[in-house]
Amino acid sequence: MSDTLTRVRSWWQQLAAIMIKEGKQVTRDPSSWIIAVVLPLTFLFLFGFGISLDTTVVKIAVVREDGGRDARAFADALTSSRWFLVAPATDRRSGERLLQDQNVKAVVVIPAEFGRRLYAQNTTAQVQVLVDGAEPNTANYVHGYVGAIWSGFLAARGLEQGSPIAAPVSLEVRYWYNANAVSRWFLIPGSMTVIMTLLGTLLTSLVIAREYERGTLEALYATPLTRGQILIGKTLPYFLLAMVSMAVCVLTALLLFQLPLRGSFLALGLVSAVFLVPALGQGLLISVTMRTQMAAAQLGLMTGYLPAMMLSGFLFDIHSMPPWLQAITLAIPARYMNVSLQTVFLAGDLWSVLIPNMLFMLGVGALFFGLTWRRLHKRLD
Amino acid sequence: MLQRLLAIVRKELITMLRDPRARLALIIPPIIQLFIFSSAATMEVKNIAVAVVDLDRGPYALDVQQRLAGSRSFTRLPPYANVASARGALEREQVIGILVLPSGFSADRAAGRPASAQLLLDGRRSNAAQITAQYVSTIMAAGAAPAANAEVVIDNWFNPNLDYRWFMLPNLVGMLSLGVALMITALSVARERELGTFDQTLVSPATPFEIALGKLLPPLLVASVQATLYLLIVTLLYGVPFRGNLLVFYAAVLTFAEACAGVGLFISSLVHTQQQAFLGAFAVLLPFALLSGFATPVENMPWWLQFVTTINPLAHMLRLMQGLFLKGASVASLAQDLVKLLEIALCTTTAAVLLFRRKAA
Repeated sequence: MSDTLTRVRSWWQQLAAIMIKEGKQVTRDPSSWIIAVVLPLTFLFLFGFGISLDTTVVKIAVVREDGGRDARAFADALTSSRWFLVAPATDRRSGERLLQDQNVKAVVVIPAEFGRRLYAQNTTAQVQVLVDGAEPNTANYVHGYVGAIWSGFLAARGLEQGSPIAAPVSLEVRYWYNANAVSRWFLIPGSMTVIMTLLGTLLTSLVIAREYERGTLEALYATPLTRGQILIGKTLPYFLLAMVSMAVCVLTALLLFQLPLRGSFLALGLVSAVFLVPALGQGLLISVTMRTQMAAAQLGLMTGYLPAMMLSGFLFDIHSMPPWLQAITLAIPARYMNVSLQTVFLAGDLWSVLIPNMLFMLGVGALFFGLTWRRLHKRLD
Repeated sequence: MLQRLLAIVRKELITMLRDPRARLALIIPPIIQLFIFSSAATMEVKNIAVAVVDLDRGPYALDVQQRLAGSRSFTRLPPYANVASARGALEREQVIGILVLPSGFSADRAAGRPASAQLLLDGRRSNAAQITAQYVSTIMAAGAAPAANAEVVIDNWFNPNLDYRWFMLPNLVGMLSLGVALMITALSVARERELGTFDQTLVSPATPFEIALGKLLPPLLVASVQATLYLLIVTLLYGVPFRGNLLVFYAAVLTFAEACAGVGLFISSLVHTQQQAFLGAFAVLLPFALLSGFATPVENMPWWLQFVTTINPLAHMLRLMQGLFLKGASVASLAQDLVKLLEIALCTTTAAVLLFRRKAA
């Protein structure tokens, strides 16, 4: 009985020893603190301010070839709209030039005869809109804005003539969880996923590769430490580091970016801790597979960071991707983290959503740690 | 001096390309990235699933559903008895919204009274949700609009089908060159420091200035080879037009790669280990990418960040690529960005060489 007790105690002592060694290595390096606090803050700041899908003001040019009252009324409606900043263009050619040289995003041409055609029978008055289609998202917004101003113009004209155009069908749109459809609200939880991946996977991917490169790995293997102890000892300091920076991120999101937290801190902490299992596991697996830090870093970037950025639904909607790519995203832990974070922040503790996601992350994490454990064993022989 | 410089360049190229795996690592991952990202990076909204709660069951409600089903953008319209039962599907992100057609919808339409429907959307995916709302309201309005004698005709220039890939692929040319030029140089000095070969280079007859230049030139070579490869893939395989001047294209690639290599060498001279170099490069890469218009337009940023984008080489590079590939912009208008890029390249290179000399001395 006391024999078991001694063994358990020495096991803990050994674990504590390697954790202290790893912890010292992490905390003594000033760059660790930069990584845990400064880097996440900078990134969150950049993500929060730099990334926005909410088109604010679009620069356009208006070419009015018709000097009449109606043409002027429509041009004024465009100018006074809060969506557009109107640059003057004297004729169609100069408007097209502005568009081609990337100075404006669209050119609205009100052709000669516009006013006359508007009142004549059997003719159609046309307004031409040349849109810079190179960036389709903005182009879509421009379509929507011009359409809205045009409807307003027609309605005002109808009222003037005593025949109001009643909109026969209206669509009442409501956004759940994010009433004003602010893109920042869904982008910030996504940025946290990216930051956590960065800390969890990229940093740990260098951990064992570094010891291998420096030749200190043999020394580590020569100690009485078991594989389990090495794994836990190497992982835990990074786990704590990542949790600290997650806390920093959450505080920043709530205080600076005014993100609502409709779920609980408990759910938030739980989801973050669970996500770190596959993130750290992936990093360690890379670290035991690759022999150099350079190769490990590249692999970590390719399989960890980039998928978290591109394939997690952070910026690009997964449902719009081709089926083969959607299938690939199913294997990416960041995808599940993203949905979970967005849910906890914006919708609340929907456990029916969170639990399946967490189970999946744990499953992938177990797989990564299992593979790491096996590889570590092979080298010990 | 030229001879010594060439010797250093040769040595750098050998270290870079000696290992067959390293050679592959320079070419294969960027190409995989090009393929995956061009499919993944889309702001278009496709394969939309919207739950339909039809409380009306009249002919007009059916008409709306058939119109939606007929549109290419909508793939699934699962019916639900009421909003409460559809809510679970929305929570689990199986549908992006719930369209509610209230009872009396058809009766109102038939009587000429204004009819209204409700669309509840998942605000967690606000961008896709907004575009979905636009689609649904356009489709519903088209079914109800009376013929008018006035219309807006929209003509999408440069990218007539608003294909998001046409936007993404030219951007990726800039983005991927940034990655390679930055990483190669950022790790170069740090690796030599770690391996202890840095001192050997310093005691060679080459001056620190020549060593620094020798480290800056190979990335230019790699970047132009890669850019050529991308140019071929993007135009021949994806059918994106190239409407600009090839000379301007290569001038842009070289200047841009030089600007990035300067940043990389600066980081590399500053740090002690590869891990630090890697993180340093990363800490630069991300802001460059985010503040360039790569993913979201520069115009959407606050004014002070828009100002920051003017010193970001990638922002100028992307404008050049868009101008060259899609827009066929005039050389005069491209020259503006090219000159800016050249200024940035001069600054970063000078700073890098100065720091390198100080650290080497």
